Amino acid sequence: MTILVIARHTFKEAVRDRILYLLLFFSALSIVLARVLAVLTVGDRVKVVKDVGLASIGFFGALMAILIGTGLVYKEIEKRTIFTLISKPIRRFEFLLGKYLGLIWTLAVMIAAMTVIYLIVVFLHTFTIEFRMVLAVLFIFLELILITAVAILFSSFSTPILSSLFALSFYLIGHFSWSLETLIKKTPPGTRRTLLRGLYAILPDLENFNIKTEVVQNLPLPAGLWLGAIGYSAVYTAFVLVLAVWIFRRRDFI
Amino acid sequence: MGNVLELRDVKKTYKPGFIPKPKEVLKGVSFSVAEGEIFGYLGPNGAGKTSTIKCVLGLVYPDAGTISLFGRSPLDPRAKDKLGFLPENPYFYEYLTGREFLDFYAQLFRVEKSERAGRIDRLIKTVDLERAAGLPLRKYSRGMLQRIGLAQALINEPTFVILDEPLGGLDPLGRKEIRDIILGLRDAGKTVLFTSHILQDIEMICDHVAIIVKGRILNQGRLSELVSEKILFTEITVSGIAEEDLRAFGDCVSVRDGRALLKVPIEDDVPKVLDLVRERGGRIYSLVPRTQTLEDIFVDTVAKQ
Amino acid sequence: MVKRKLVFPAVLLLGLGAIAGLKITLDAMTRVKQPGAGIVYLPAGPAVKAATFGYSSFMADIAYVWAIQYYGNSDIPDRLNNFNRIFTVIADLDPKWVDPYLTAGLIAHYDFKDPELTLKMYDEGAVRNPKEWIFPFEAGHYCALPPLRDYERARAYYKIAMNIPGAPAITKRLYADASFKTMDYKTSWEVWREVYETETNPEIKKIASNHLYQVKAAVDIAVLKVALSKFREQYGRAARNLEELATARVIGSVPADFDGKDYVYDPQTGDIKTAVIPWKR
Repeated sequence: MTILVIARHTFKEAVRDRILYLLLFFSALSIVLARVLAVLTVGDRVKVVKDVGLASIGFFGALMAILIGTGLVYKEIEKRTIFTLISKPIRRFEFLLGKYLGLIWTLAVMIAAMTVIYLIVVFLHTFTIEFRMVLAVLFIFLELILITAVAILFSSFSTPILSSLFALSFYLIGHFSWSLETLIKKTPPGTRRTLLRGLYAILPDLENFNIKTEVVQNLPLPAGLWLGAIGYSAVYTAFVLVLAVWIFRRRDFI
Repeated sequence: MGNVLELRDVKKTYKPGFIPKPKEVLKGVSFSVAEGEIFGYLGPNGAGKTSTIKCVLGLVYPDAGTISLFGRSPLDPRAKDKLGFLPENPYFYEYLTGREFLDFYAQLFRVEKSERAGRIDRLIKTVDLERAAGLPLRKYSRGMLQRIGLAQALINEPTFVILDEPLGGLDPLGRKEIRDIILGLRDAGKTVLFTSHILQDIEMICDHVAIIVKGRILNQGRLSELVSEKILFTEITVSGIAEEDLRAFGDCVSVRDGRALLKVPIEDDVPKVLDLVRERGGRIYSLVPRTQTLEDIFVDTVAKQ
Repeated sequence: MVKRKLVFPAVLLLGLGAIAGLKITLDAMTRVKQPGAGIVYLPAGPAVKAATFGYSSFMADIAYVWAIQYYGNSDIPDRLNNFNRIFTVIADLDPKWVDPYLTAGLIAHYDFKDPELTLKMYDEGAVRNPKEWIFPFEAGHYCALPPLRDYERARAYYKIAMNIPGAPAITKRLYADASFKTMDYKTSWEVWREVYETETNPEIKKIASNHLYQVKAAVDIAVLKVALSKFREQYGRAARNLEELATARVIGSVPADFDGKDYVYDPQTGDIKTAVIPWKR
């Protein structure tokens, strides 16, 4: 219950953040500009619009999660509003989880808005409302759940600028996991390879949430991908949040 | 009457960041706050007053010692059910209106929805912010912020209220208002702990005092016991008597416009001065026996360091 | 109290284990893995460079690595479709980088078996990097090799390559050889002569002299064959030996081979051959 109170409060706060609307504007802009890109491209124009549109939602969604998430906890500490808050009957983890949920809620609203714009733009090309695209957006949302947790994690002990850098690195590492796979294939068996393999298994693989190709090109999704993706997102997010709670617990608020 | 708050030998050293120069802020602080009293926590800036409060609230973890708040650890949320806290220089969520702000905290205390609106209205009235209740907090003046802060501290109808430097930066009228509110709280049966570095305020309303300097409690006790009723000296302002004649009884601190301010250390000399004035046909403008003030004790205590 | 402290690290470790497990499970699911496939939608030309905000060579690296994986994966159908586009984009991002063009050429040749595409890749490289000898060099090879076996084009490429400073010495020899194969004996002779005279390595000198032998033989035999047919025209029969040709004034004098030996003439078949095989001199 306390968590929900904090979540609602965080939602109210996040929704008033101007960065959110700036990013929403740019996202809408880039979805619309996919049209321009289509003209320059060799290949199926509609596919370009769909693909770039989804990429925009994914990218700007991540940016929103990072830019707002990294300031969320830090601001409370810096502005000392946390002093008054902790003096109330609230546990530290309730505060952290409440912030997290509030941001997720905010992102859900923003993603929904971006999806509507996207579907409209696609409609203007194909004259159908392509609901299949929403599948891709749902997977993107699974990714954002994880990224938000990472942003909150860093926000609980680092300044917004550093936190943003770390969170962004997490995002990039997550999308280049395949290059590590390639490296492993080329490494001869041995300790080094085993270490790399271990690293590969625990580093985030955000491409697991990328079904844009399948959706845009109407390919079938392998069985179990849904469960796998939800599971991966849930477990990794839980891991990050537990880590955040652990770090946040014994912190002195000077 | 039990103790609402007990600290025993609390120690804390800050190890800030990458520079491993530790700063010992609390060097074994012990005191107790009894139910129904006004407790003044006095000390110069940087003595460790706010750090102590942070330990009590669970914002900071002491390295050693025990703290008991309503008989529980500060980490126990139940310990805060009946606690109200007003921080120094309150910063609050700028975009919330006064009413939304109080509503937020009311929800945290799980005040029933039906009860919430009524309580908020009453508090707003008490702190005299009826006109500003609908404005966002960023439009509040400092005094208004102080008042909404006080309202927030009382939102859960606490039995123990902690105020960190509540009188800082206020004009004399504001200070009187706060002092009256604190007294009112005590009269309503609540316990109040407040910190200050302004001695006069503490002297005026506290029942119990602790003086902290550089992380150590140097002196504490009931105000009446700390400050003796002993008269240190008497200040008499007279005119019409020559300075040389007055010097027999004390020092002429100042002579201005024909009036002399005389400091008479020996109590028995006072009637002699009065007689002299009457004999010579002079005038007495004032006669003030100076007792030991808190300031004297404070200066003494600090000087002993 | 000790137990409590261990709860968090234990949970976190468990979490890592679960993450690893899930990742392996997810990897096992076959998906059309085309990470970064968005490259197809990149506009070519100056626009793409602008889009990378100054990190164009870095982006070229990434795109290149991706392209190699992509084209190396024979499971992906329709890889050829955007081949040209993709490598053009890489080239636009970092025109001076030699590897992509070469790799593209290799892929085009061995994977797609499309010689014209191969040559196109090398041409692109050459156009943007006229000072690199490797592009016309490799292009020459691909022309000379099957399926093209187009020695004329090979020759043209080798000629360009050999004039670029830094080109290996063999380029000249390749040019000479290609000229021979296109029957431009004059050029071939001249170039082999040059090689023979300037070369200090005795093995290569030997090779050059073998080639000179071969060129001379080709020229001589051609001349002799013309003389033989003239003789047949005039006298209605095949010459009995080569000296007859000289006697009959159909030819000035009977040429000897490079070593001064006679050519071998078979009156029955009309064949003229060299006394020895050039490589076995």
